[in-house]
Amino acid sequence: MAINEIAGCIGCETCVKSCPTDVIQMDYEKKRAYIAYPEDCQICHLCRLYCPVDAISITPEKSIPVIVSWR
Amino acid sequence: MADKLNVSRRTFIGVGAAAVGATAIAANMGPPPGGQGGPGMGPPPMAKNEPVVDPESFESNSFEADVLVIGSGIAGLFAAVKAHDAGAKVVMVSKGRLGSSGLTPFGKGIFVYDKNNPTMSEEDFISKLSTSAIGTNNPVFGQQLLDHSADRVAELREWGFFDSPLCNESFSVPIKERKIPVMERIMMTHLHKEQGRVVGASGFSMDRNEILNFSAKTVILCTGSGGFKPNGFPMCDLTHDGTIMAYNIGAKVTGKEWNDGHPGTAENSASCYDNWHGQIEEKPGTTGPEIHHDLGVGTNYTAYVKGGPVSMGPGAEDVKGGPWVPEEFQRSGPPGGGDGDNQMMGPPPGGSDQSTFSAIFSKLTGKASAPNGPPGMGGESVGGSTAGMAIHKSEGLVPIDENGLTTIPGLWASGDALGSYMAGGIYTQIGGSMAGSAIQGALAGVAAAEASKQVDKIAIPAQKLSETREEILAPLKRETGYKPSWVTQVLQSVMIPNFVLYIKKERMMNAALAYVEELKEHHGPMMMASDRHHLRLAHETMNMIITAEMKMKASIMRTESRCSHYRLDYPEIDYENWNCWINIEKGDDGEMKFSKQDWSVWPPEFAQA
Repeated sequence: MAINEIAGCIGCETCVKSCPTDVIQMDYEKKRAYIAYPEDCQICHLCRLYCPVDAISITPEKSIPVIVSWR
Repeated sequence: MADKLNVSRRTFIGVGAAAVGATAIAANMGPPPGGQGGPGMGPPPMAKNEPVVDPESFESNSFEADVLVIGSGIAGLFAAVKAHDAGAKVVMVSKGRLGSSGLTPFGKGIFVYDKNNPTMSEEDFISKLSTSAIGTNNPVFGQQLLDHSADRVAELREWGFFDSPLCNESFSVPIKERKIPVMERIMMTHLHKEQGRVVGASGFSMDRNEILNFSAKTVILCTGSGGFKPNGFPMCDLTHDGTIMAYNIGAKVTGKEWNDGHPGTAENSASCYDNWHGQIEEKPGTTGPEIHHDLGVGTNYTAYVKGGPVSMGPGAEDVKGGPWVPEEFQRSGPPGGGDGDNQMMGPPPGGSDQSTFSAIFSKLTGKASAPNGPPGMGGESVGGSTAGMAIHKSEGLVPIDENGLTTIPGLWASGDALGSYMAGGIYTQIGGSMAGSAIQGALAGVAAAEASKQVDKIAIPAQKLSETREEILAPLKRETGYKPSWVTQVLQSVMIPNFVLYIKKERMMNAALAYVEELKEHHGPMMMASDRHHLRLAHETMNMIITAEMKMKASIMRTESRCSHYRLDYPEIDYENWNCWINIEKGDDGEMKFSKQDWSVWPPEFAQA
C-alpha cells in the first residue's frame, strides 16, 4: 500500500485538491473522500499534511506492478 | 449517474466480434485457455474499454485572458502576480493546486544574494558557475539570480512562505489580494497558434466532464519539467506537458541530453516522503552563494561499474574513470553524503563537512551527519529516482530573450519549463532552482503583460476547437487499445536502466529508441481511458513518449561527455565541436529536427528572424 486509509474524514475536499497525482476522489453522497487510484500514489504525504483533521494514514511500501506483455 | 455511459450496444458489438475471433482460434488451435462459458468455449478474456464517463457529455466552455498562466508553482505564482500588477487581465490554470503540485512544495531552500553584504562577488559567482558548468550555462540567466533573488525572497517572506512547510496558504495571499482567478485540476493538452502567434490553449477538467478553451493574447508556460513518473521523487505529476504542447505548435525545445542523477534509497524506493527523511514537513529556508558540481551521473557510473546498490560517500573512490569533474569542484565524499561525482578525488572545498548532496534542492541543515535530505542520503541507493528529468532549467523551451520569450510570438516560459541554462548541464547552486523559477516567472509576467497591450485578440477558429476536442477525448472513445499505465511501464523499463539513460552508448540508445518509436507510432495513438483520471494518464504518457524520443536522439547526437551527459563511447569533452546546445523542433513533415546553438551568440541568431 501507499496511501491506505482515510478515517474520520469531514468531507472538506482539501486532500482531493492537494494530491498532485489525482489519487483521491470525493464521494458526494457519503460526503467524504476515498482512495480511488492508490497505484498512482507517489507517497509524498501532501494530502496528510494538508488534512485539517489528521484523517489520512500512509505506509512507505508500494507494490509496483510487474511488467507484462500486454495489459 | 449522469456520467454513466449506456454501453449496451457497444458491449454487444464488442462481444460479438470477440466471439467470432474466438471461434476462429478454436477452429484452428483448439480450446483457448480460461475462456468464458466453460472450457473451450467463449471469447478469450479480452479487456474492453468500458468508459464510466460519456465522452459525448463533455461541455465545451470558453474563457478569456490577456495573459494565461499555465501552472501554479513558484514560477506561475510570480508570473500571475507580476502580469496582474503590470495591468493585464490574468487567468491562472493548473493541473494541480496552487503551491501543491509540481516540485515547488518540495523545494525547501531558496537562494538569495545580498548585494549589500555579499559573501562572494558577482564576478566570482558567475565565473565559478561557468567553470562548474563547463560552459554549458547562459550567464545572462545566472546574473538574474544575483540581481533579483533578494526582491523575490522579500516578497515571499511578506506572504508567509517561510512560516509554513506548506505553501498553498502563502501563495494564496497575493493571488487573493489581486482577485486573480485560479482554475485548478485542469489538464492542459493543447496550445493554439494562429497567424504565427499563440492565441490560447485547451484542456479538460479532472472534476467535471468539461473541455476548457482559453482565448489569450499571451501565454506563459510555468509547467515545470517532468520525468517518466519515476519512483522516489515527488514529480509523478510532471510529464513535460508544457514543453510538448509548445513543441507541437512549432516551438524550439532544448536540453534533452542532460540528466538529473538523483538516486533513491534501496528500501521503500517509491516512497518520496521516506526518501526525503521527513524534510517535506520542514519550513523552507534560504541559501547563499556556494557553487558546486553536483547531481550528475557519477553515482550511476559507480553503480554501472560495481553493480548496485551503491553506498554513498566514502567507498566510491575506488572506481576510476567516469564523468569528469572540474578540478576545483573535485572533492571527497563527505560523511553521510556525496553524490558520487567524486571519482577524481580532491579536498572538500573550504573544508566544509556539510554534504552538498544532503542540501541539494533543500535548505542547509547544518546536520552533516544526520540522514536529512533528498533521496540517496543514508543507506544504500538505487538509481533513477528522477528519471526523465534534466538538471533544473537546462531543459525546456528555448528562450530568445532574457524574459523567457520562446520562438513562438506571444508564448513565454519560465522556471523549469524554460531551457534557460541558468546553471547549465550540472547542478551548481543550492536553492538556485527555486529562486530562478520565481525570478523568471516575474520577468515573463511583466513582459507578457506589456506585449498583451500591443496586440488584438485573435479568435481560435471553431474548426480547430472541434479537432482539439476530438483529440482530447479520443482515448475515452476507443473500445480496445492499451492502458496508459502499461505503456508507461514499458517506457520506464526501456528508458530507466542506467545503461540507457545515464551511462550512454550509441548501440543501446538506438535499441531504446526503436522501442520508443514503436510506442509513439503504434501504442500511443491506441491508448484508452475509462474515466478522466485515465484520460489524464493517456495524455501524460504521450508527452513522456515524445520526451523519451527527444532524450535518446539528442543524446545520440551529442558525441562527447560533459556535465550530466556521459557517454561510454565518447568519454571526453569535445570543445571543438560541442560548445553549443542542441535545439529540437517539429519539422513540417512532423519529424523531430535537431540543430546546434552556439554558446557565443546571445541572443541567438534565430531570435532576429
